[in-house]
Amino acid sequence: MTNTIAEFFYQFEGFKSLVEGMNPVTVSVLIIIAAGALVTVFMATVGGFGTIAERKISADLQARIGPNRVGPYGAFQLIADGIKMISKEDIFPRDADKFLFYLAPFICVFGVVSTFAVFPFGSGIALSQMNIGVFYLLAISSLVGVGIFLGGYASNSKWSMLGGMRGASQIISYEIPVTLSIMSIIVLAGGLSFESVLASQSGLPHNWYIFHNPFTFIGFFVFFVGGLAETNRAPFDLPEAESELVSGYHTEYTGIRFGLFALAEYMEIFILCGVAATLFLGGYNLPLGVLKGTVPEQFLQFGTILIKTLALYYVVIWVRWTFPRLRVDQLMTICWKYLTPMAIFNLVGCAVWMVAFDGKSMFDLFFGH
Amino acid sequence: MFLNLLFLTSALLTVGCSVAVLAVKNLMHACVFLLGALIGIAGLYATLGADFVAVTQIMVYVGGVVILMLFAVMLTGGKDHVSKTQKLKSLIPAMGNKTSYLIGCLTALVFFLTQGYLVSKLLGSIEVQKQVDTFSPTVQELGELLITNHVLPFELSSVLLLGALVGAAIIARPRKARPQYEEEAEEHH
Repeated sequence: MTNTIAEFFYQFEGFKSLVEGMNPVTVSVLIIIAAGALVTVFMATVGGFGTIAERKISADLQARIGPNRVGPYGAFQLIADGIKMISKEDIFPRDADKFLFYLAPFICVFGVVSTFAVFPFGSGIALSQMNIGVFYLLAISSLVGVGIFLGGYASNSKWSMLGGMRGASQIISYEIPVTLSIMSIIVLAGGLSFESVLASQSGLPHNWYIFHNPFTFIGFFVFFVGGLAETNRAPFDLPEAESELVSGYHTEYTGIRFGLFALAEYMEIFILCGVAATLFLGGYNLPLGVLKGTVPEQFLQFGTILIKTLALYYVVIWVRWTFPRLRVDQLMTICWKYLTPMAIFNLVGCAVWMVAFDGKSMFDLFFGH
Repeated sequence: MFLNLLFLTSALLTVGCSVAVLAVKNLMHACVFLLGALIGIAGLYATLGADFVAVTQIMVYVGGVVILMLFAVMLTGGKDHVSKTQKLKSLIPAMGNKTSYLIGCLTALVFFLTQGYLVSKLLGSIEVQKQVDTFSPTVQELGELLITNHVLPFELSSVLLLGALVGAAIIARPRKARPQYEEEAEEHH
């Protein structure tokens, strides 16, 4: 199988003859740039459809109809929204910090888009195959916290400031249980890359890491709850709590700058669900080795990871429209008094399990040979 | 070619942002430029093939230190309001006269000479690897070294970090207010 997107193209004969005379490094750089642009555009579209999904699903949950004017079932609402946001006046508060005010949305988007560099869309359909991919993803996504904080600070408004402070402290706090839950999976997989995590799972649920042992089962929920808080989703959407802070850190933003914040949030939810699906739910692995080693397999894998991710995406939206928002002190209590000890317990439990049962999963222990 | 490109970008980012940190007046902006410089340094590590160190650099500095600095700057005012209220500018006569400049120049000279001496010694003793052709994973080597040759510093730093964590928790813990009747009872005695 292929390692990077460049190698993916090299397996076709027609492509080989096309680039025969060119320097392979130049070809690789060009392919990576083109694929990076493609992934960014694709993910922006997914983020845009996230907004429309949010509105339609919330409408369903509340027995309303939701947007239904633009396109079939209102599916092209995101295009209308986009055009509206771009053509809006770019309002800049008089006393705001101009430099930071303009910079903050871009830091947010940069932090989210950079995570797609290592996200495995299929075997070989990843922009880069770092052997520390999971760690890189965790590290670069912390830029979002900086962006939110700067956005809140630079607006020079009390609501924005409170939202930004809440956002930064919330993201820093919840990074700990999330990272610890991911570490327990790393302990089982024995490698920091997505490939090593995926290689030791398979397409059927009994080989997924969520059912590997009791600790990972708890770990999945710790990870998911922590991830919800890290992406500022309800019931943890305190940074933009509309009933207290108008709209939190992006109160003063208008037009496409607000759009960039919203887009970053929806793309971040996608990456959270994608990482949860990859680490705990088998990722892009196909069951029973169908079409093994062929090109159609890679497209089926892409479909598999997309279905799993979008199913989790639905759960995220569902949770938002079901639970009431927490208070700030409840938020911190959940993180430090419940999730973090549970994550540490899971990490130790997974390590002990690896030693005690030689790394076998529960299924292997009960039904194995 | 790719490595050269990466090196040039990272070096330019590091140097440019470092200069900007010194040049801008606003502390908050300086913090953001520092963020750029630290990311540039992570790029330099990546150029040298130290992937784990590069990502750790981003993790620790971007995710932790810079946010902490931003918080601190924001909570303490950030702009020149401290020096205005405390009249620091008029209070320090030592800045900007002949003696201070002379001492500053002498310090800089001594510092520069020491650094030059050290670097020349180092360059003589180490064979500098000109080009990293293939990247080998460093995580496993780092892990093995940490639990074999360097196990004592590793354990000591873990104790230190745990101490810091417990200390932070104790400082942040709200003091329990004593019930009213206890205080009244003490007053009667």
